[in-house]
Amino acid sequence: MNSIEPALRPRDYKSDAHPVWCPGCGDFGVLNALTKTFAAEQLAPERIALISGIGCSSRLPAYANAYGFHGVHGRALPLATGLAVSRPDLTVIAVSGDGDGFSIGGNHFLHACRRNVDFTWIVMDNAVYGMTKGQASPTTEADWTGSKLTPDGSHLAPLQPLEIALAAGCGFIAREFSGNPNGLSQRISEAIAHPGFAFIQVIAPCITYRPEQMAYKKRVEAGFEPVDDRRRAYTQLLDAGPLTTGLLYRAALPQWQPAPRSDHAVDELDDRFAVAGDA
Amino acid sequence: MDDLRLFLSHAVALEGDAAERYHELNETLDAHNNPEVAELFRRMEHYSNLHLAEATERAEAAGGVIRLKPWEFQWGQAESPESAETEASHYLMTPHHALKLALAAENSAHAFYDGVRAATSNPEVRKLAAEFATEEAGHADELDRWLERYPEPAPDWDEDPDPPVAVD
Repeated sequence: MNSIEPALRPRDYKSDAHPVWCPGCGDFGVLNALTKTFAAEQLAPERIALISGIGCSSRLPAYANAYGFHGVHGRALPLATGLAVSRPDLTVIAVSGDGDGFSIGGNHFLHACRRNVDFTWIVMDNAVYGMTKGQASPTTEADWTGSKLTPDGSHLAPLQPLEIALAAGCGFIAREFSGNPNGLSQRISEAIAHPGFAFIQVIAPCITYRPEQMAYKKRVEAGFEPVDDRRRAYTQLLDAGPLTTGLLYRAALPQWQPAPRSDHAVDELDDRFAVAGDA
Repeated sequence: MDDLRLFLSHAVALEGDAAERYHELNETLDAHNNPEVAELFRRMEHYSNLHLAEATERAEAAGGVIRLKPWEFQWGQAESPESAETEASHYLMTPHHALKLALAAENSAHAFYDGVRAATSNPEVRKLAAEFATEEAGHADELDRWLERYPEPAPDWDEDPDPPVAVD
């Protein structure tokens, strides 16, 4: 600690746009944790890029005072990968929901883990498609009957994102809770500092379509002990419940970072992206 | 907590976080077309900012606010004590619910300061913590009086003729 007051406060990293998330939405906790992290690390807003796909949580870049890109559904990871490879000087953070990240963008999840490009991915997981009014997502429990589309439940076992990340070669894997923005802020800070792809699954309750998740606050428990051995990480995962939080696995793995090319002129880009028939 | 500057830095963060949370609730309820409750949260934000200015002044007089990372604060809980719990908010909430939310936050702040008062070995910190605890208790009493003007609404207060989801 030191006695110099930070020049930038968490509020300085918020935009003037009013969030349209439902009151009580877990995504507020993630926005607060991010802005607290940025202030704690005194990151220059113009050196931060927040990349998202589609969904409630993917609106987050609009609410932050930083560069942002609200991409197409499920494509936050390839966009963030491209940016992080071409601008390794930036702090690149991709944000998704469970549907955007694990279903529509599920393929990119696997390859972002194995490529290990240096950026952070935060998935706000509420186990429901909220923006489309409450359908079962990849992480929804098999017996959830809260949607007209699955009145008897989906009968599908929920995806296990942390196990998948571990299997796919991710070097930084954590699960946190949006109701603990200070703890989440610490994890995000560690993820940003980690050299390589860092994945944080954030349990972020949907108060509207999954009101029973309001009880999570009393049920989440810090339980993971960070290890750098995959076998021990798997053992912890198999023993843990779905609401166990903490840093599970951190290991220094080879990154994919080709040397940036600076020999492209803007005219050349124009040529490459020109549509046939353009003048 | 025995260091005066550390204690006052906690007080500054507590009021700052409270103001930020009320600001967030004000914006959100405004976005959800609940102007009466939004205005109430705006007023709560205003009061928190007044307390923030007071705490900051005291901290500066004691040598300045110590810069701590969010996870370095010793709250004894996930969030700083006076941050209103967002899970209890709702787009159809009434002033009664908003005041209950604020009351819980004031009581939580009182418990924090009272806990510091009981545990510290620094007489100066003990004196200030007792003063702040008394202030928070005063705020809670004031909210109790406001609540008399806004009695508990009927049980169907959250009934929405066009609900976001309906499952038969």
